[in-house]
Amino acid sequence: MADPIALALREQFHSAEQQRETSTVGMWIFLITEVMLFGGLFTAFSVYRMSHPAAFDQGSADMEFWMGAVNTAVLICSSFCMAMAVHSAEKGKNGRLAFFLILTILIGLVFLGIKFTEYYLHYHDQKLPGIVFHDTSPDAAYVQMFFVFYFLMTGLHAFHMIIGEGILGAMLFRTLLGSFSERYHTPVELAGLYWHFVDTVWVFLFAIFYIPGAHMK
Amino acid sequence: MATVTLFEPQSAPAQPRLNYLTEKTGLMSWLFTTDHKRIGLLYVFSITFFFFFGGFFALLMRLHLLLPQGWLFGHETYNKLFTMHGIIMVWFFLIPSIPNTLGNFVLPMMIGAKDLAFPKLNLLSWYIFMLGGMTTLYALVRGGVDTGWTFYTPFSTSYSTSFVITAAVGILIAGFSSILTGLNFIATVHRMRAPGLTWFRLPIFIWSTYATSLILVLATPVLAITLAMIGIERIFQVGIFDPALGGDPVLFQHMFWFYSHPAVYIMVLPAMAVVSEIIPTFSRKPIFGYKAVAFSSMAIAILGFLVWGHHMFVAGESAYAAMTFSFLSYMVAIPSAIKVFNWTATMYRGSVQLDTPMLYAIGFVALFTIGGMTGLFLAALGIDVHVTDTYFVIAHFHYIMVGGTVMAFLGGVHYWWPKISGKMYPEFLAKLSALTVFLGFNLTFFPQFILGYMGMPRRYAAYPPEFQVLNVLSTAGASILGVGYVVPLIYLMWAWKYGESAPDNPWRTTGLEWKTPSPPPKHNFEETPVVTWKAYDFEAQKEELHLG
Amino acid sequence: MSQSTVSVKTYAFTLIGLLALTLLTSLLALVDLGNFSFIAGVAIAAVKASLIACFFMHALYEMKLIRVIMAGGMIWFLIMISLTLGDYLTRGWMPYPGK
Repeated sequence: MADPIALALREQFHSAEQQRETSTVGMWIFLITEVMLFGGLFTAFSVYRMSHPAAFDQGSADMEFWMGAVNTAVLICSSFCMAMAVHSAEKGKNGRLAFFLILTILIGLVFLGIKFTEYYLHYHDQKLPGIVFHDTSPDAAYVQMFFVFYFLMTGLHAFHMIIGEGILGAMLFRTLLGSFSERYHTPVELAGLYWHFVDTVWVFLFAIFYIPGAHMK
Repeated sequence: MATVTLFEPQSAPAQPRLNYLTEKTGLMSWLFTTDHKRIGLLYVFSITFFFFFGGFFALLMRLHLLLPQGWLFGHETYNKLFTMHGIIMVWFFLIPSIPNTLGNFVLPMMIGAKDLAFPKLNLLSWYIFMLGGMTTLYALVRGGVDTGWTFYTPFSTSYSTSFVITAAVGILIAGFSSILTGLNFIATVHRMRAPGLTWFRLPIFIWSTYATSLILVLATPVLAITLAMIGIERIFQVGIFDPALGGDPVLFQHMFWFYSHPAVYIMVLPAMAVVSEIIPTFSRKPIFGYKAVAFSSMAIAILGFLVWGHHMFVAGESAYAAMTFSFLSYMVAIPSAIKVFNWTATMYRGSVQLDTPMLYAIGFVALFTIGGMTGLFLAALGIDVHVTDTYFVIAHFHYIMVGGTVMAFLGGVHYWWPKISGKMYPEFLAKLSALTVFLGFNLTFFPQFILGYMGMPRRYAAYPPEFQVLNVLSTAGASILGVGYVVPLIYLMWAWKYGESAPDNPWRTTGLEWKTPSPPPKHNFEETPVVTWKAYDFEAQKEELHLG
Repeated sequence: MSQSTVSVKTYAFTLIGLLALTLLTSLLALVDLGNFSFIAGVAIAAVKASLIACFFMHALYEMKLIRVIMAGGMIWFLIMISLTLGDYLTRGWMPYPGK
């Protein structure tokens, strides 16, 4: 049998260490492109929030605050499980790795479930810009803009979550195939980085969308 | 002493050695290749196609403008012509031009690596690029886009009836290709350098390409999200940028130019990279002030992000923001000037040889200087108010993009052609066409400076009769320029098949890419080189290079 | 090689810290703090994000280059948002409409 490390080492690299470090660097660079992608939306949101604070607070008051807060906690727990999955991979404990990956995936699904319930409630309240939007306040145009950004940003985030679920599924599959070991588990680490990053984005989304108007209910 | 082992004397081997072109053959071996050299060539073919496509639109526009009232097209068609010219040239030629072709080809060799860090990602990047290109061409076939390449709102989101979303999707897709290439280059330069190749031993080409890659990964995502927002606003008619719906069109301009101004440096930094290789080679001298040139690349990349507001001086931007952006725009002139001075100083007292690549490089320095200086006019608030949206702007950025980037691209193609194809091109014809390009270019665009200063606005399909002489001159220049571009295409293809075999190091220069056979074997080097010399150290390699 | 495994204890403390901050930010949200509630919310989010980056994402334990990349991303985002907001904030400063 060939050494699994030798098999995993691509021909352009000299050593497993060089390969791991390069992949990690590549992933982090990818993550900063994600920072800039969401950053564009954060910038636009900030500009409009600064110009129309009252309308944006009013929009924020229409959020399902506790669902958002619980979802934040849910996502943090999934991040913890992901961290534990990477930890298990580093120790070469494949059973535990699979267990934590499954847990991460399930908690991620809980998050998406809560998120889509919220979307449904907004639809029910006629707060879905472009499809059905009803608001009687004088600032209706800007309340609608708040919701445009809400759906754009949480939607983009949810899209990243769905992709993340797919990646974690692939990692689980490879774990069960026995592709990872104490010496080679870079893909799990990279998937973890991506998952934690998506978590981080949500932490900010919670802060800008749910918090400012929560006291107005 | 031990450093010379890789260099083979220029004698033909007894039996033809396998190289990256002959190692595998057949269409599939190209479509599924992960070899950076082959992917570089795939990009060469693709962007050459897009270049002549976009150039054809330019030629049609110039023909139309022969007569003051225009004579070939209706106004709406003219709008679509300049839009498609801009979109294709910017995103499907200029942005990928040097980094994805020459960069892909020589970057790993210059740092003594077998390949880029992520070869599969590199191939994926080409497929994504082609998908983006095809989507954009589909928009064109369906009827084109008339917003201008800048997609200004609210015209693009509420009023235009053309295929804005399809084109935007095409550009967005191509953007991901840029991101992946940038990411690949950064990771490669950080982690794949040959033993002994420290940062300050790197050729300037690597520094500039690295700086370009930083811009690619930091700016392109913002373009992606901005185009996505345009699409959302257009589909759902919800307020993001449209003032009628509570949005702010100036915010679109902020976000668009946050990408598109740095994008100018994505185009010109690689051109500077190529010129920084050619000039030392044909002056037989190390580049003057290595560190200054290296750091000025980084400075341009960083400062380039701080100046985007100068596109919005008359758009309703605050006067304080305008002053800040004006000041910061002046700052970019400093690293740019450092480069020009250092190239000139490199040539000074060198043994300058006027081979074809050097002609292009000198042409670049001259035209870039004019383009850069007129950029300072535009960064000045008062003058900018006068010349905003006139042909002065058109002339300015064509001096940078065509006079700068295309000249350097052609120079680079000639410079590395022996390495890429293993064949020499016909020198006399090449020199002749370099001169044709230079003359044709100036005849096309210099009159446009005057036209713009006299007040001829850009993007108009007609103009007052008193501007006709200058417009006719410009059209004549464009025809000459067209010939100047077609001739190299023909003789380079001819040379690929019938040209004389090229030696490993035809220019007798120092870079690592010349210390491997022409064309190189699949993994570039038979064994990983160990670098103990500085870049452009002609003195140290005097013996080896047979320099008298 | 930065393969130094972070201990389970560190992960657990990070988790507790993150959940505590989520609780804190949720409780703060119920009080009317005016504009400050937005700022406080974003500030707490920034602390949470750094906890995730430092411990879950191993930024503290990785090679220096990773921290440079991270800082670079942050700085570039701040460049974009601050220069853009700078324009909007200074629009009313001159006594002419629109400037």
